[in-house]
Parts: sequence; structure tokens; C-alpha cells
Amino acid sequence: MKHLEDKITQVNSLETLEKTRIELFGKKGALTAEFKKLKDVPGPEKKAFAEGLNQSKANLQKLYDEKYALLKKQEIEKILKAEAIDVSLYSSLEAKGALHPVMATMDKIIDYFIALNFSIEDGPKIEDDFHNFEALNLPKNHPARDMQDTFFCKDGGVLRTHTSPVQIRTMLQTQPPIRMIAPGAVFRKDYDITHTPMFHQVEGLVVEPKGEVSFANLKAILSDFLHYMFGDVEIRFRPSFFPFTEPSAEVDISCIFCEGKGCRVCSHTGWLEVLGCGIVDPNVFKSVKYENVSGYAFGLGVERFAMLLHKVPDLRMLFEGDTRLLEQFR
Amino acid sequence: MIITRTWLDNFIDISDVSNDKLYETFNAIGLEVDSIKSHTIPEKIVVGKILSCEKHPDADKLTVCQIDVGSATRQIVCGANNVVDAEYVAVATIGAMIGGDFEIKHAKLRGVNSEGMVCSASELGLPEMGNGIMILDESIGELIIGKELNSYEKVADTVIEIELTANRGDCLSIYGVARDLGAALDIQLKSLEYQSLNQEKIGLARVAQLKAPSKINGSLKFIMADVEEIYTSLLVSLRLAFSNELQKNTLENVIKYVTHSTGVILRAYKTRHMLIEEDDKIILTASTEEGLTKIEANGTYFSTLGVSQNEVTRADEKTTKVLFEASYINPNVLVDAVALQGLKTDELYYNTSRGSEPNLSLGLRYLTYLLESYTRCIFFDGSLSVEEEVEPSIITINTNEISSLIGKEINKSTILSILMSLEFKVQVAGEDTFGVTVPHFRHDIENIQDITEEIVRIIGINNIDAIPLKFSEAQRTNATTHRYYAKKALRNRAVANGFYESISYAFSDKSLLEKYNFPLIKEELDIINPITEDLNTLRSTILINLLNAGKRNVSYSKKSIALFEIGTIFNENREEREVLSLIFSGQQESENISNHGKPENIDFETFTKKLSAIIGNFELRAGTEQNGLIHPYQSADIIIDNEMCGFISKLHPTVAEAFDLSQTFIAEISFDALIPKHINAHPISKFQGVYKDLSLVIDKNLPYDQVSTAIEALKLPLLKKYYPVDIYEDESLKEQKSLTIRLFLQSLESTLEDAQIEQSVNQIINALKEQYGATLR
Repeated sequence: MKHLEDKITQVNSLETLEKTRIELFGKKGALTAEFKKLKDVPGPEKKAFAEGLNQSKANLQKLYDEKYALLKKQEIEKILKAEAIDVSLYSSLEAKGALHPVMATMDKIIDYFIALNFSIEDGPKIEDDFHNFEALNLPKNHPARDMQDTFFCKDGGVLRTHTSPVQIRTMLQTQPPIRMIAPGAVFRKDYDITHTPMFHQVEGLVVEPKGEVSFANLKAILSDFLHYMFGDVEIRFRPSFFPFTEPSAEVDISCIFCEGKGCRVCSHTGWLEVLGCGIVDPNVFKSVKYENVSGYAFGLGVERFAMLLHKVPDLRMLFEGDTRLLEQFR
Repeated sequence: MIITRTWLDNFIDISDVSNDKLYETFNAIGLEVDSIKSHTIPEKIVVGKILSCEKHPDADKLTVCQIDVGSATRQIVCGANNVVDAEYVAVATIGAMIGGDFEIKHAKLRGVNSEGMVCSASELGLPEMGNGIMILDESIGELIIGKELNSYEKVADTVIEIELTANRGDCLSIYGVARDLGAALDIQLKSLEYQSLNQEKIGLARVAQLKAPSKINGSLKFIMADVEEIYTSLLVSLRLAFSNELQKNTLENVIKYVTHSTGVILRAYKTRHMLIEEDDKIILTASTEEGLTKIEANGTYFSTLGVSQNEVTRADEKTTKVLFEASYINPNVLVDAVALQGLKTDELYYNTSRGSEPNLSLGLRYLTYLLESYTRCIFFDGSLSVEEEVEPSIITINTNEISSLIGKEINKSTILSILMSLEFKVQVAGEDTFGVTVPHFRHDIENIQDITEEIVRIIGINNIDAIPLKFSEAQRTNATTHRYYAKKALRNRAVANGFYESISYAFSDKSLLEKYNFPLIKEELDIINPITEDLNTLRSTILINLLNAGKRNVSYSKKSIALFEIGTIFNENREEREVLSLIFSGQQESENISNHGKPENIDFETFTKKLSAIIGNFELRAGTEQNGLIHPYQSADIIIDNEMCGFISKLHPTVAEAFDLSQTFIAEISFDALIPKHINAHPISKFQGVYKDLSLVIDKNLPYDQVSTAIEALKLPLLKKYYPVDIYEDESLKEQKSLTIRLFLQSLESTLEDAQIEQSVNQIINALKEQYGATLR
């Protein structure tokens, strides 16, 4: 049988293997011929002869199966090899664009407050004097109005100088308790390296029954928020002044560029001012006819957050659709 | 507000308070420190006494001085003119380093030995105080020849700039800042009593009289002096220079210095021409009209209290009889009256409108002291004054309410001691209730929350523990919240399709809007005070902003520019509307191996596909939009739910050229139309459907949307879907074209029979035949 086994071993293509299979296992094949010899074998030897034949058949079959598997594998390998490409040529297709860093920062801010059960509110960009100033305890001629260089329209309308008028609109439209933020564009007549005539703010307002809301609450939420935004930073509250809150404070974080050691960005103070906040001034509640309530409010500039978070060097660049900058956020 | 350490020391003893502690305290009490700078005078710069001055033998402009520098007398050549007027000067001796890198050495100036240098202020790192060398006087302390100048702390002072908030007019003076600091650090202010030295025997009443026929707004107080010569001491000059307030003449220097020191508003008038004869008298009259108080003297208009002064009456350094006026007016009354009358105001208005110091005697006392110390002058005895009677403002406070506003238990005695240190007067009215009288200089304090702020400032916010708020849970997602989510999803889809999000100003250039035929806001609604000419109106499209951005990107050699912005635009009536605007310019994909570095430019089909991937399904109909960016033959209205909600177009080639752009496509769509609507699922058929192609010959110029409108009108129940798959034109068809539409028919009830299919198809053929003369190919 050795010669039959050799036949299989010597095959090196699937086609030849098929031919060999017919030569060996086919009806007219060598193995069939061997089995035919069985009837001529004398009785006592018959059993041993048959066993020998079966054994040989099994061996041949095994050899064949192995050969088949090997050749099949080689053939697939050949097909695969033929389809080989240099995948590294395709690594940068640049098919995706990017969200604007200011808008993405705004999203991140909004996510936080939605998670804390705040609603989102909105208002018009062109406001009237009442909502933008008067109701926010900024009476006409008040020097605090100088803090905000205002764009005026000929009919007395103003381009909102902050998102705070949305507080007034929301308080007039709904009833306490209120938990809201107002994200959006605001306008000030100022144009230099650190000021653009339009920028974005997020305003927050909480109103609850009298005696419920305290300055300590404001400290809690804003500290948590700033850690959420900037990670492990130091936070400092400084008393300040806003017409619509009393007491008021500005909130600083330790400089994220120099870790508080003092650098150009923080004017060598080690601190960066990022937020304004306070307890809602009673005059504001008076202007919307709320009684026996207490509340806090805060506001922040989104561009400043985005610039600090992503270390954007130039404010004005953010408004120019400059893809050299935007591509970096892909 | 600029203060210095030693200036503060006039009013409060801060010798035990370090600069770091000062910085920390100011910030903690709401006086934000903008900058803090300690001046250091280099070593080996000493007080020198000039013994003699001689002209340099060979140089007109140089002087050879013999100067006693303590250890020796040195010959020093000096180039400044004013050295001849000087007695004591700052001398940089051999070895002194000036400006960090310039060492003083033995020198020969035009053949004359010079062993040192007489210094100017700027050479010592101090602010400039006029030309020439710095002349020393005893205002900085006792002058000891040879003593290091750096040991004079009034010269090597620490200058602190404080950014004051608009409500703190009371801190617009050194005295005011000292008062707040005293409360925070629990340090008593120094006593400021001063007795005039050489009072003239003549009483002021002999030569002047003040009449106020009726009640006036504000308070006034006058004093008068015969002034011979006014000298501005080094200290006054230096401090005014530190605070950028050095004036043109010496009298104004003194007045500015007193106002900066005490916060009291002072004016000086000429009076000599009114007192010519022996019995001449100055009759001052003060009267209030329309809220403002005018001061006149013998028929000459002098000033309006808190607003401005008649320039011709302003005393100068040559005036010999000077009438000094101190004044105060409630800023709330002042600002309203000034705005109402549209008056011009002078530089003091910054202080008067924020609240100047009402303690007029303090200012006049300080002025007297200063003039008598450094000037030959004699004051008249007494003063003339009219004081406004002001109802004291009393606020009722409750200590529990204050604690609850702060969120921390603040005990009664702490509250009371803080208020008293801030010069509030306190009357007990009940267990936890008090009446608090607000000091006159704190016009900004009106209610309990203002009082609470004072408590918070002084105890320090850092000493208040953060406590999370317990709040009422509620369902707070509203329409605006949904709108935000819709916008966010839209933005993310635009990004996924290769667009970059852009933000631009909500302004536009009126001439560009006009040129490209976009709506202009009615003149009477437009902005009065635009920031620049190219942002002189509110935008009525975002596309021009995006084209400008596109142009900039071209200049940065970008070959493919895809930008979008969601923002507000304004119509003629200034009504606001949010739109999604997109531009795609140049190559439709990045250069890569598959396109052999030569990607196709963007085309209508690719741009439309991208748009559909972002905003979902829409229908395009032949364009009706008329603006100047539109390509007349490659533009369409975008229809969603049968509503026209925007347009898509190739950018007109002349506009593309104007913005340096290659092939560009634009779209602007109303955001309202893109908010996802509620969807109910249709039943899905269990039976197989049938695709059927229908090839028709129709008029070459017939747009597809008319064909689809005709099919739509048939309302065929079996027709589930249809779309064009081929257009064929050739010469044999002449003025016609062949259009192939693929139909998909399916029934909910059964597998379709041939007859059913045929019936539907025939209905379509007949309708198109009737309406457009279509024939089967």
C-alpha cells in the first residue's frame, strides 16, 4: 500500500488531489480493486486480510483529508495575499468636521446643569430697557450701566448686554420654584484683543421660598461646577458688585497655566476670574412682583471658559471660521 | 483707584500688616487688587547736599557740582537745568547700579572729573515728575546727608491698584480705603484733628457771605486764604505721579491730592477782582433748580455742584486770594438730573456720580494742613457753609434673616461689631431685631441684603462653608430644552458629514446685504452705534459671514472648506429667526491615495446628499429665492412637509470670484423646520412588493417635480415609493427627453395581481399623458 500512500503525499494541487482521489477511492480505483481480491482470499486468512484492507483504507482517507485541508488552506492564503494592501496609506481621511470649541464648551456646561434638574430658557437678542436694565436693578443713569457698553437701536431697543433679561422673562412667565439656565449670545460695544462685540454667556437662576436659599448654597454648586469643568483646581470667592445680586461675589480658579505660581495669563496673581454670582437682589424680585422668595443667580462667559479649557491663544480667532483652529478639535 | 502703603499710613497704622496680608484682605473685602508693585531704590543712591554749582568750562549745558554725600564731598557733572535750584538731591555714588545694568563709575565729562550721578525720578524707577533731576525735600522724611534713599519708605513705596466696583464711591479715596481696611483688620483709624497755625485775624464773614434763599440739594463749605506761593512737595508730586494724577499747576496738584486723600470734592475760585475796594464783599448764592445746585458770586456763575465749574473762575497758581469750596451731593439725585438735562460734566463727575465723601470738614482740614506745611499762606478765620438736612437712612435688620441669607449662623455680637466698625449706628429694637443707621458716605446701602453683603465681606466668604441646596424636584424639560437637543443632534450630524461649526457676529455690512439683495432692517429699527462700518447692521443671512470665513480660509491655502453655523438672523421688522447655514467650497473630499490627490470639486448632487444626511428627507423644487448669491440654473427651494423652508444653490460665479472661492455650494434653512416631529409607524405589509420601471418621453424642459406632483395627485394606494433613475436625451428625441421612473408597488392585503399593477401604472401614464403629453418609450 505504500505506493498508494506516496501518491497522496506527492500531490501539490487541489486538482491533482481530486484525480488521485478518484484513482484511489473511485469505483474503478485501486482500493476497490484490492477489496475485490478479498473473495479470492482463503477462509482462515479472510478476516485478517479484510482488517488489513480496512486499516489501509482508513490510513489513506486520513492522509487524503489532511492533504485536502492543507491545500485548501494554501489556496485561501494565496487569495488573501493577492488582496493585500498597504493599510497605512489610509490612516487620515479627514472625513469628519468638528464642533466649535465655544459651542462644545457650552454643551459641557449645559450638560452639568441639566443633570442637576435645571431647565433651559431663552429670550430675544434684541431686548427692551426694562428687561435688560430696569428690572435688573440697573436704573437709568446708574453708573453701573457704564460696566456694559451697549448697542442701541433707534427705536429704543438694545442688543442684550447679558443673558440676565432671560431671568426676568422666565420669572414673569412662570412661578417659583425656578431652576433655570439661559445660554446664548450677548453683545457689548467693545472690540480689542480681549473683547469681541458678540460673545456667549450662560446665566443661572434659582428661586425658592424665602429663607431656603443661601450664599452657602451658591458656594456649594459653583465649587462643584468649577471642579467638573476644570478638574482639580483651587477656588476662591471674592466679594464684588453686580446690580442684580446682593451679596455678590466673583469666583476665581487657581491659574491652570502656572498652577497658581503666577504667569502672564493670570497677570502674575495665580488666579483666573471665571464667574460672577450672588444672592438675588430684593429689587429684582420686586420688579417681577415676587414676594417671600429667596434665590441665587450666576453668570459666566463661555468664550473665556473655552479659551482656558483648550488653551486657545486668541479670542477673535474664534469668530473667524478659521479651519486651522477648528481642525484641531476634530 | 491707586493707593500706596505710606499714603494709607496717613490714616491707618498698617506697620504690622505685610503686603501679602494687604493683598489678601483687599480681595477678601471686595476691593479687587489689579496690581501691586513695591518700588526699590538701588543701593548706593544716597541723599546729597549741593554745596556749589559752576558752569562747565567747555560745555554750556553741563554744570559742575560739589556735592556732600556724607562720607565725602564729590565733584559731579550734571546735565539737568534744574540742578541749580536744588539743595538736596539723590546721588548715585560710585558702584551704584541703575536700571539693573548700568554701573556708575569714575568718569570724565569733557575733561572734568565726575564721581557719581545726580538722578532723575525715572532713573530710579519712579514715575516721571517733570523734567530734570529729582529734588528732595523733607516731605519724604528728615533729610540726612549720605543716607540711602531706599530707606525712605515714602519713596520706596508699595503702589497698589484697586479695581473698584461701581457701588463703592466711598472707596474712591485713601481715607475711604483705610476706613474699610480698618473694619476688616480691626484697626482704629488715626485721629485727623488739625489746628490751623497762623489764622488771620480777619474773619471770613467780613469779606464773604453765603446765601441760600431756599433749601438746596447738596452741602457746601467755603474757606479762603491769601496765598503767596504754592509749592508742590516731592511727596505730593510722587504720590500723584504714582496715581497718574499729576496736574499742570501746583494749586491743582494740591487740590487733586486732597481729593485723592480724603474723597472730598474741592474747587478753587479766583476772587481778587471782587475785593478791590476796602468794603467789597463776595456774596455767594446757592440755589437749586431742576435738581441741580448752582453757585454764583456777585452775579458771576461759579459752578454747578457735582457737575462742572466755570473755567474763568478757576483759581491758578498766580491767584492770591483763593476761595476753596468743598461740596457733596447725593449721587442718585445728581445722575438723574444730569442725564435729564444732558449736561456736560468735568472729571470730578466720576467721583460725584459714584458718591464722594460727605465729611466736608475733613477735606478742608487736610487742605489747610497741606497748604500751611508747604506754602506761604494765611487763612481767613472761620468758614461759610450750608448743609443739606438729610433724613438718616435706617434699615431694620434681623440677625436670623442675615444668617439664613448667608447660610451660616452668625452671632448677634459679630454682626453688631462689624456694623459698628463700618460706622453704622445700631439701635436695639428687639431680641434679634435692630435698627441700623447707614453712614452718610454709604448711599449704596438700602436694605437687609446690602447689610448682609457687608457682613459677608468682613467675615470673609472663605469662612462660609458650602452647603448643597435642598430643592424641589420637578420635570423641567421644556420646549427650549427640546430645541437645544434638536440643535445639538443636528450639529453632530453636520460634523459627521465633514462640516466645521462656525460662529460669527450677528452683524453684517449693510452695503453687502444690499448688494446681494438680502432684506435690510428698517432704518428706524437699526443700530445707532455700530462698532465698525463692516458690522453696521444686524444680519439677515449668515451666508455672507460664512463666505467671508471661506475667503479667509482660501487665503490660508485651504482647498476644501465646509462650514456651518446655526444662529439668529433678523428680517426687515427686526423679527428674529434661527437658521442653519452651510457652505461647501472646493474639493469634495481630502486629497488621498484613492483619488490620486485630485479629488473632484463639490457638485450639486454631492452637496445635496450631504445636506440630506444632516437634515433628513426633503424635496427640491425649482428655485424661487431671489438673493444675489443664487445660481439661476442650479438652485432649488427646500421643501419639508410641503413647506418651503430654505434654499440650496450653487454660488453665483461672480460672487464666488468676489470671495476668491472656487466651485461653492450654499444652503440656508429655517431651524424651526428641522425640529424632529412626532412619528407614528405605518403598518408594514407581509406581502411581496413589485418594482416596475416606467420610461416616458416628455418635454425636455419639464422639471421632475411637476411629474411627481402629478403622480402625487393620483393618491394611488398601492404606490409606496417612486423615484427617477435615468434621464436620456439625444438628437432623435429633439425637444424631448426620456425619463425613467422606478415605481414600487405593494399591497397590505395580498400579493399583487398583474392586473392591479397594470391598473396603477396605466393611471400614471394617462395622467402624465393628459397633463404633459408624455408618451411611453
